[in-house]
Amino acid sequence: MTRPAVYRALVVSIVLLMPAGHASAQSVRFEQPILVTSAGQSADVTIAGMLFKKAGLPARVVAQAKPADLDGQKTLVLVPGFSSKGMGSAGIDKDQEMARVMSLIGAAQSANVKILVLHIGGKARRGTQSDSFNRAAATAASHLVVVRAGDEDQFFTKLAGEKKISIDVVDRISDATEPVGKLFK
Amino acid sequence: MARHLRIPGLVAALAVMLILVPGPGATQPAATASARNATGARGMAASAHPVASRAALAILQQGGNAVDAAVAAAFVVGVVEPDASGLGGGGGMLIRLASGKAVYINYYGQSPTDIARAAYDDAKDNKSAKAVLVPGNVGGLSRALKDYGTLPLATVLGPAIRAADEGFVVDQTLGQIILDNVAVVQSHPNTAAAFLRDGFPLQEGDTLRQPALAAVLKAIAKGGPRAFYEGPVAEAMVADIAKAGGVLSIEDLRTYEPIVSEPVTSSYRGYQILSSPLPHSGSTVIEALNILENADLRARGHYSTSVEAFHLMAEAMRRAYADRVAFIADPRFEDVPGAGLLSKDYAKSRFAEIDMAKVVPADYRKTPAGDPTKFVPARGTAGHSDDPMTAGHTTQISIIDAAGNVVSLTQTLGTFFGSGVTAAGVLYNNGVNNFAVIDRRNRLEPGKQPRSSISPSVLVKDGRPFIVLGSPGANRIISTVVTLIVNVVDYGLTAEQANASPRFLCQKADPVLSLESRFSDDVMEGMKKKGHTLKLYGDFDLFFGGSQIILVDPVTKMYHGSADPRRGGTAMGY
Repeated sequence: MTRPAVYRALVVSIVLLMPAGHASAQSVRFEQPILVTSAGQSADVTIAGMLFKKAGLPARVVAQAKPADLDGQKTLVLVPGFSSKGMGSAGIDKDQEMARVMSLIGAAQSANVKILVLHIGGKARRGTQSDSFNRAAATAASHLVVVRAGDEDQFFTKLAGEKKISIDVVDRISDATEPVGKLFK
Repeated sequence: MARHLRIPGLVAALAVMLILVPGPGATQPAATASARNATGARGMAASAHPVASRAALAILQQGGNAVDAAVAAAFVVGVVEPDASGLGGGGGMLIRLASGKAVYINYYGQSPTDIARAAYDDAKDNKSAKAVLVPGNVGGLSRALKDYGTLPLATVLGPAIRAADEGFVVDQTLGQIILDNVAVVQSHPNTAAAFLRDGFPLQEGDTLRQPALAAVLKAIAKGGPRAFYEGPVAEAMVADIAKAGGVLSIEDLRTYEPIVSEPVTSSYRGYQILSSPLPHSGSTVIEALNILENADLRARGHYSTSVEAFHLMAEAMRRAYADRVAFIADPRFEDVPGAGLLSKDYAKSRFAEIDMAKVVPADYRKTPAGDPTKFVPARGTAGHSDDPMTAGHTTQISIIDAAGNVVSLTQTLGTFFGSGVTAAGVLYNNGVNNFAVIDRRNRLEPGKQPRSSISPSVLVKDGRPFIVLGSPGANRIISTVVTLIVNVVDYGLTAEQANASPRFLCQKADPVLSLESRFSDDVMEGMKKKGHTLKLYGDFDLFFGGSQIILVDPVTKMYHGSADPRRGGTAMGY
């Protein structure tokens, strides 16, 4: 076999061996600097900050980030999940929070800032109120990282399939560190 | 129970069921309905955790009485719901024996004698060692068992020791609460070590073992309550709290005693009601019911679909809440016109203020207190008070035994995870934050108890228990208990239906009426037209408590228990 033929065979083999279905994490890349914000004011945004720290990725965590906070950022991380306690502490209502999130998404898209969604609150961050934020965030994302307990009904997996968004589903919150780390390599 | 439902009531109940069945996409409750409700002829236990309910049921089945079962469940729930109550906290237990004798054991705890040295600043210290009250759980539960139980303390502590030693599986509720309160959990190294794994919150499905807590429980089993309040355990706890900046002393622990008294009593539509005395909020529950008794709620329809009924309940409750913040305080320190607050004539005067056409006054925060002193001689006048909108999370246990002895018990750490300080294996409360900042009556003083919302209650008919109930949820406890009673007595709902009915809070301290989202659109629009400003919460929102309720069918005498769908929990019967 000639060398070019060997190379062709190798490339074909690699392509054939690649996992089918949704795009793998390796095909999506994000860049720093990173801005992390909540979409729904749950405490999960604090955990997301811990995840990035554990992954060795400096990230700025601003629970109620506004479009101006995107200046200089390359990645916007949305952490969706509704919390009435969080809303109360923030002194805002659901409509105000949704308006903030949508304006942030719009600003990110205009500035070519990629959006990564981390859904790490499990079942507690699903339901009518949370799902409005989950859907708004996920449909704007380039990639989703989701804890399995929050995707038992395949809400995120199906949405990722429909919108052709790549997704990592992990068992535990701490398991999210690895795929998050790889997204920024 | 069937006799209790006439045709109109049945139609109303069916209509309510249509409202109560969540639509597509609605938030689902924490566990299936069938796992949460139970029927039994000889005993029933309802609590926020199946391990606690199971322990209580086992005690009943082995011949223990309701007090034995309640104490066992209370110790267990402090292990398996460590965020919401435990050895480092306090509470109140209402016992009504089958003989009719009733007693209230107030084990809420009081401020340390040296509290002034803490220079407590609620804005920054409310989740710290400075916020710790002397813990009453061990003293109160032991006293209840000694005076009204039949089993040794070591026996009733067995299930709690096993749960702490062997561990239990974290359920969805606890997983969510750890997540929601991760900042408090992280604030103290011992607490973080217990509730984080690899630096991240424990989540549903993980096993939580608490060996340090087990050691303290074993010491109490061996040496009685004095093993907690004196000796090496007490010294270690005081040292840890002092290291974290608190002022709890050995003397505070050594001299702690629960307060034993009679419950407050009244009647509502022919039922006797017993509830928690001062400075707990049974009087407020009773006042709200006394106000509502002046109207025919049933004729107006269920409050979730009837603007008139909803408006009436909101206006009644807000007046009761206004009186609560004006008058209720520790009666050992303040003159409280307790009899006036319970007076039917006083309630009638408050009812007369309600305008069915609109909110009066338009600004909730301007709702004036009444003058209950006109209805009973009492010194002192109404004070102006803030009412800390604490996220006071707490737990409820309701028990009935074969003889008809009942216990309604509500216990707490203050807010979830309390002070955040774990001292010698014990997670401590932050009850000091229940004192008010600007009020003479409920101000922080050494040795004083703060005003508390806890309202464990019992309704009695013809000398027999009819409802055993209570709820956690800070200020929402009162509105939830009132609403549950109205749902059963006025609307003829079952325990399960009452527990599932949508909830709300209308109080002076808030400019808005907070409500779950399952009220009909017409009702919400109608309320807005009357001048209410609404703030929507989730479909089954933990904000409104986690009630545990037992109904006794007056015809069949069967016990029907229901654990709140808003929180993990189970009723178990036999």
